[in-house]
Amino acid sequence: MTNILNQNLISSLITHNDKVLDIGCGNGELLYFLEDNKSIQGQGIEISHQGVKESVSKGLSVIQGDADEDLINFPDHAFDIVILSDTLQATHKPKKVLEQMLRIGKKCIICIPNFGYWKYRLQILIYGKMPVTKTLSEPWYSTPNIHLCTIKDFINLCEHLNISINESYRNTKNNIKKIRNPKSYLNNLLSTEGIFILTKEK
Amino acid sequence: MGTTGPSTINAATSEPYGMEFPIFTIKDMVNLQLKLIESLNIKKLFSVIGGSMGGMQVLEWAASYPNMLYSAIPIATSYRHSAQNIAFHEVGRQAIMNDPEWHKGHYYNKGNKPRHGLSVARMIAHITYLSEGAFQKKFGRDMQSKVLSWGFDADFQVESYLRHQGTSFVDRFDANSYLYITRAMDYFDLANNHKGNLAQAFINTKCKFLIVSFTSDWLFPSSESQSLVKALNKTASDVSYIEIESDKGHDSFLLEVNDFYDILSGFISGAAKKLNI
Repeated sequence: MTNILNQNLISSLITHNDKVLDIGCGNGELLYFLEDNKSIQGQGIEISHQGVKESVSKGLSVIQGDADEDLINFPDHAFDIVILSDTLQATHKPKKVLEQMLRIGKKCIICIPNFGYWKYRLQILIYGKMPVTKTLSEPWYSTPNIHLCTIKDFINLCEHLNISINESYRNTKNNIKKIRNPKSYLNNLLSTEGIFILTKEK
Repeated sequence: MGTTGPSTINAATSEPYGMEFPIFTIKDMVNLQLKLIESLNIKKLFSVIGGSMGGMQVLEWAASYPNMLYSAIPIATSYRHSAQNIAFHEVGRQAIMNDPEWHKGHYYNKGNKPRHGLSVARMIAHITYLSEGAFQKKFGRDMQSKVLSWGFDADFQVESYLRHQGTSFVDRFDANSYLYITRAMDYFDLANNHKGNLAQAFINTKCKFLIVSFTSDWLFPSSESQSLVKALNKTASDVSYIEIESDKGHDSFLLEVNDFYDILSGFISGAAKKLNI
C-alpha cells in the first residue's frame, strides 16, 4: 500500500503518457492515481488474487503474477518507468528482481521500508525482539517480508551491482525529504522509508 | 447450426455435402465474422469476447486483425489444443464414425442418424467440461432408485444425467458438424503459424487483453492462459490476467461464478472510459 506522500512524489517523477509498470501493485491504488493524474499507460503485476480482482475491477491492466518469476518475460526497455513500492522486501531474490527491473525499465523507482530507523534498532536493543512496525505489522513467523534491509544496505547493493542512484528521498515522520548527502549515517537512522530513482550504469 | 455445414445441400450434386464438405479452421470462422462486420459497415470492434472455442476465435481476431479491435477477452481457452484435448476429441469422433448409422457421413437421406455415436461423444465431452469436485458435489454416489439393478441400467444419478446430456444433444446438433468443429479446434495453433513463437503472433497487436482462467478447469487449465500472458508480456502488451476460484470446471465460464462478472464489467467499463464512450 503506497501512502499519499509517496504517491505524490512518484507522480512528480513521472511524465505524462509514460508507460509504467507497477510490480506488486496491490489493489491498484497507485496505478489508478497515476492514470488519473498523469494519463500513464499503466500495467501492474500482483501476486494476490484479491489485489488483481480489485485492480481489474477498477479498469486497470494487471496480471496475476510473481515478481520473482515473471519479470523475465518482458523485453528490454519496455517501460519508461518501473515502480517497486514496498515490494522488494517480499521477494525471494531481491537482487535478481532489481536487475530485471533495470533491464525492462528505462528508469526505476523503488520504495523500501528502512529497518535502520532508530526506533526499530531500539526494539532489538531493548526488547531483544524482531521489530514490528505500523506498516509491517506481522510477526517474524508469518510476515511475507522476508528480505528486509536498511537504507545503507540498499545503497551498498546498488554500488555492488553498478547501479547508479540518480536521486533519493527519505520519509521522516510523514515528511518526505530529498537525500542530499547519501553518505550521511543520519538518513539511515532517522528515516522510516527510503525512495530511490535508479538507472543502470552504462 | 451456424451458417453452412455438412448438412447443407451441395449445389453440384443436389445432395447434402456430408464428408465432401471442406475442412475449415478457426481462422475461417473469424474470416466469416469479419465479412459480417464489414457488411454492417463496422470499422472497429470495441471488444471481442469468447470462451473455449470462442476464446480461440478471440485470439485469432487479435492475431490476424490487430487493428480491428480495441480489446480482447479470451476466457478458459488456449492458443492451441494439447495432446489430451485432441485425444478426447478423437474418442468422440471415433464414437460417431463407428456408429453403423453414420454411413461415412451420408446419413441425411437414410431416415436415421448416428444418434448413439454423437450421444456418446457428448457424454465424454461433458465429463471434460466439469470437474471431479463438481461431479462429486452434484451426484456423489446418489442412486436413481433405492435398489441396484444388478445390471447395466443407469443406477447412478450421474449415469442418468450423462445419458440425458447425450440424447438431448443429438436433437440439436448434427454429428458431421461435430466432427468438423472438433477438428477445427484440434488444428488451431497460433504459435505454429509463427515458427513456434507465440509472441510473434501478437507482434502487431495493440489491443487490451483480459485473460481469464478457472482453478478447476482441467480442459483448458490455467497454465495455458499463463503461456498466453507470457507471450503477450514479451511484446509488452496491455494485458490483464486473473485465475478465478471455482470448482465448476471448464463450464465455469458459462456460469455465474463469484468475481467473474465484477472483473468483466470492471475491465469493460475501464476500456470504455479510456475511449470516452
